[in-house]
Amino acid sequence: MIQTARRNLSVYGAVLAMIPKQFMAYQLWFWIGLVLNVISMAILVYFWRAIYANTSTISGLAQNQTINYILFAFIFMPLTSNDLIWEFGSNLREGTIIHHLLRPINFQGMNYAQMLGGLVTRLILQVPMVVVAVLVFGLRFPTDLGTWLAFILSALLGFTVMFFFNWFLACFTFYTTEIWGLGVLVDGMTFFLSGALVPLVMMPEWVRTIVLSIPFAQALAVPVGLLTGITPLSDAPQVWFIQILWILGMWIVSTLFFRIAVRKITVQGG
Amino acid sequence: MTRYLNLYWYFLIQRLKVLMEYRVSFILGASSTIVWQASSIAAVWVVMQKVPSLNGWNYDEVLLVYGLVTLSKSINHMFADNLWTLGRIYIRSGGFDRFLVRPIDPLFHLLADRFCQDGVGNFLVGIALVIKSSIDLSIDWTPSKLLMLIVGVVSGGFIFIALNLITCVSAFWIVDSVPVTRLVFDNHLFAQYPLSIYPKAIGILLTWVIPYGFASFYPASYVLNRDVGNIAWFGPFVAALLLFIGYRFWQFGLKYYSGTGT
Repeated sequence: MIQTARRNLSVYGAVLAMIPKQFMAYQLWFWIGLVLNVISMAILVYFWRAIYANTSTISGLAQNQTINYILFAFIFMPLTSNDLIWEFGSNLREGTIIHHLLRPINFQGMNYAQMLGGLVTRLILQVPMVVVAVLVFGLRFPTDLGTWLAFILSALLGFTVMFFFNWFLACFTFYTTEIWGLGVLVDGMTFFLSGALVPLVMMPEWVRTIVLSIPFAQALAVPVGLLTGITPLSDAPQVWFIQILWILGMWIVSTLFFRIAVRKITVQGG
Repeated sequence: MTRYLNLYWYFLIQRLKVLMEYRVSFILGASSTIVWQASSIAAVWVVMQKVPSLNGWNYDEVLLVYGLVTLSKSINHMFADNLWTLGRIYIRSGGFDRFLVRPIDPLFHLLADRFCQDGVGNFLVGIALVIKSSIDLSIDWTPSKLLMLIVGVVSGGFIFIALNLITCVSAFWIVDSVPVTRLVFDNHLFAQYPLSIYPKAIGILLTWVIPYGFASFYPASYVLNRDVGNIAWFGPFVAALLLFIGYRFWQFGLKYYSGTGT
């Protein structure tokens, strides 16, 4: 009797003890993610401070202007997210893509709404980093309402460019069925090509030409350039116009590619 | 010892057979790390075209620091990557119990179970950076400098492994140890650049608490004739001490291990 009770106690005790372990793991991730972000941000800031140790301006940018750019680029990094590739990948792996394609709503439209939701969530999760950037690294917000509006519009357009570009890239997974490699490869390239590490004006002419002829920078360097005043506000209409052209181009290319690629779908079971 | 070496070889061959079955994944995995590193290095290159000095370090000197820490990291990445997945893959699924009933050291079994191909990319990047920078800096490789290079990379590699070992033991209590390991591991990013660009506190942290500095900054300073004193030779002792602590802590954690019931 006592033995049974004792055994039951230890069994249920072990099951019970698992719950706080799981809960703690999620909690832990939140706080640790914050610390990891602070480390990355600190390295960027100290790197730039050391670069500016012996010079007052680089390509016309003063230290505080560059650091402001780097901090905003860090905060708005979610604009370049390639979640869509992973989403396609998991749909393909689990076979759920079939159900999505059969639904009476636009598959692309549904995914756009989903990604927009993801963007908002990610930006909300960046709020603690905004606080750190302001309090520790001296981030300064532009006070002019026009600048913010120009930025928000440009950011939305840039996000849309990336959506169609990712849609185009994701179609390759229909052929290769290799998702992880593609995702990580694109992630790694985004880091530099989006302009998250260096303002575009500092790049040598030929590098800038390359960066501006592929879509990544449209989602980060271009809007953040407006936000930090590196691109003057008077250029905003021209910036938007170019972004709209990008959207049209990427929309056409990705839609056509999807039509061809979708015939190739090989679902890996499910 | 020879038995373990033979066993490791056997495990490695098996693992390579698996990897060769998925050749595309293998190549993508190894090259993904190269792309990541290329992004960071491209940024340093762009900036240092404009400003040739990072607080007194030129472009190639920065690359040497970056290359050394990448080499040390690749040792850990190739041979000890399973320390990351102890909780997620082995303990959660109950697979870890398999190790406990086998007649070999469970830690050895864990490490030998998976050679990680992604580390090869880091290894190649590290080697390329060290060679490139030492040619462009026309470093005069005296025996003591060469010794320092090897000591730096090897003890750096063991510092990486030891810190991951110490933090992964938390998996015995909280199952998923990845957040804890990341918390310590990500500090190695500081060591990609000369520690002298950071505030003093970060320098002390990276030397005496989470000593990744011994993987890059100190050996590089020695090789470049910068005055850092004899501290550069402390690397092996720091690595040995951390490994000792790590192994004892591992044994301690093992005693408390009780499985997840799966």
